[in-house]
Amino acid sequence: MLSTSPLERKLQLSGILLILGLVVEALCLLGHGPIAFIVFMSLGGLLFTAGTLVYLYSLVSPNVKTPKQ
Amino acid sequence: MPLETILIIILVLLSVLLIGVLVLRPGITATRGGKIMAFLVLFALPLLCMGMGASRELENSKSTRFCLSCHIMEPYGKSLRVDDSQHLAAAHFQNHRVPADEACYTCHTNYAMFGGIKAKLGGLRHIYVYYLGKPPAPENIRLYEPYNNRECLHCHAGARSFEEGAVHAADPDLLPAVKANKVSCVSSGCHAVVHDVGSLKDAKFWKGAD
Repeated sequence: MLSTSPLERKLQLSGILLILGLVVEALCLLGHGPIAFIVFMSLGGLLFTAGTLVYLYSLVSPNVKTPKQ
Repeated sequence: MPLETILIIILVLLSVLLIGVLVLRPGITATRGGKIMAFLVLFALPLLCMGMGASRELENSKSTRFCLSCHIMEPYGKSLRVDDSQHLAAAHFQNHRVPADEACYTCHTNYAMFGGIKAKLGGLRHIYVYYLGKPPAPENIRLYEPYNNRECLHCHAGARSFEEGAVHAADPDLLPAVKANKVSCVSSGCHAVVHDVGSLKDAKFWKGAD
């Protein structure tokens, strides 16, 4: 499922983390108690930050050419 | 559910869909257009969603419903409906001297710089004690520090009923002392009955305006 290209793999990983973070966000927005707030800020924030950092890292990391290229 | 929340959830689902396309077909990022799309979908859109979501969550955390969702706070919610004008919190809530849907936050936030942040940190401490510590009985809950008159004066200072009220004006030293936080508004003999959750079983309750 994951691509063989390191760059694309990083983008996929970033995407998966961001999807998880956004799903957590959507679920927390449906709730209204303190637990939803804490989960949003901790788990949602963590997944979002990780996904964004992986994406940013993919931009600056060395671009290894794949056999196709 | 508020319309704003529904719109944020729709935006979140749309972002998830677009990110899903990139995850399933990462090859599209090889082109210039694909790179721009990746930036928008993997950075700009999630950032927008998280920003809007965080703002919504912070706004929600100010609501009376949010504060009263903890079981331990139920008597405090009940105290807002006591049918007695001597009960400070009830009189403020029922007469809309504070916004009814943000009643707790309005009085229990610090109106100095970073007051909102301090209130949120206090809230985190409440959650820690509630779930991991030993929460006290509702009637034994005390403020972390004595109630500061600044929070009352935020609304009342300069108001005619406050400045020229018979009791306030009777002693010329009283108002300066109150404004300097030397005499507490909630001190004995003044507005001492605030929530008084210990005596709720004998109280009469206002049924509400609806």
